[in-house]
Amino acid sequence: MLSLIYGGAACGKSAFAEALALREGGPHLYLATMQPMGEDSLRRIERHRRMRRGRGFETVEWYTDIGSFSPPSDATVLLECLGNLLANEMFLPEGAGEDALEAVCGGLDRLMERCRHLVVVSNDVGRDGFAYTAETLRYIQWLGAINRHLAAQADRVVELVCGLPVWMRGEA
Amino acid sequence: MILVVGGRASGKRQFVRDRLGYRADQMAPALLDGCPVVCDLQAMLRTEAEIEPLLAKLREKEVVICDEIGCGVVPVDPAERAWREAVGRLCSRLAAEAEQVFRLCCGLAIQLKG
Repeated sequence: MLSLIYGGAACGKSAFAEALALREGGPHLYLATMQPMGEDSLRRIERHRRMRRGRGFETVEWYTDIGSFSPPSDATVLLECLGNLLANEMFLPEGAGEDALEAVCGGLDRLMERCRHLVVVSNDVGRDGFAYTAETLRYIQWLGAINRHLAAQADRVVELVCGLPVWMRGEA
Repeated sequence: MILVVGGRASGKRQFVRDRLGYRADQMAPALLDGCPVVCDLQAMLRTEAEIEPLLAKLREKEVVICDEIGCGVVPVDPAERAWREAVGRLCSRLAAEAEQVFRLCCGLAIQLKG
């Protein structure tokens, strides 16, 4: 089972994705892709840790090569988030670089075969019309391609707007 | 006329190919005679100053594809602001006249009209 949770910044994706994951069977794994770099990311990580505290998630930090992660086959895995995972693959020294798009899509395909339920949080980064550099535009194109790749095979696709779910596939 | 909108890389052209049945060579980011689909309308508006003649020509097309670009911070540059405004206003007018309007998100289409 695959669920894609999608939306802009601070629209309630995480809270919704956590609640959705907890409706499924356990064990519940939280796959965190954000590397703790700088004050902002540390604050963000701490906020998410507080939200998850006491809710039964085991947190695993995994920044690149997501396909090499092997969860228990009966696990519900919440991966947060694709925007960070793709940036890691494109820009970290240990990332896949030019092959980042294939690495992320292939890795997600392997991961979803290995667990009972994969819930993926992803980001809407393509609706501001800003004239970015070629590198950033490629990041936007690739994140869109990964979102389409997942949505094409997902059982549930939900866009979050102001904390409210818009069900594009599946139902509450 | 059918209007197809969505963010960058949201699957708009793929939708027009796979679901509306047009070929890639039937789409152009320009007003070409005999070409039924206009894509990248937002880019055309970078250079197009005259909205009314453009709108008249777009009415004759079968499908118009445009990026949604209005969801960021108001740009500091006046030209960027004007462009963003022009795209939003034109899309609203096209949507008002269109028989059908689709919005793409992660490759999935939601029909907003029709």
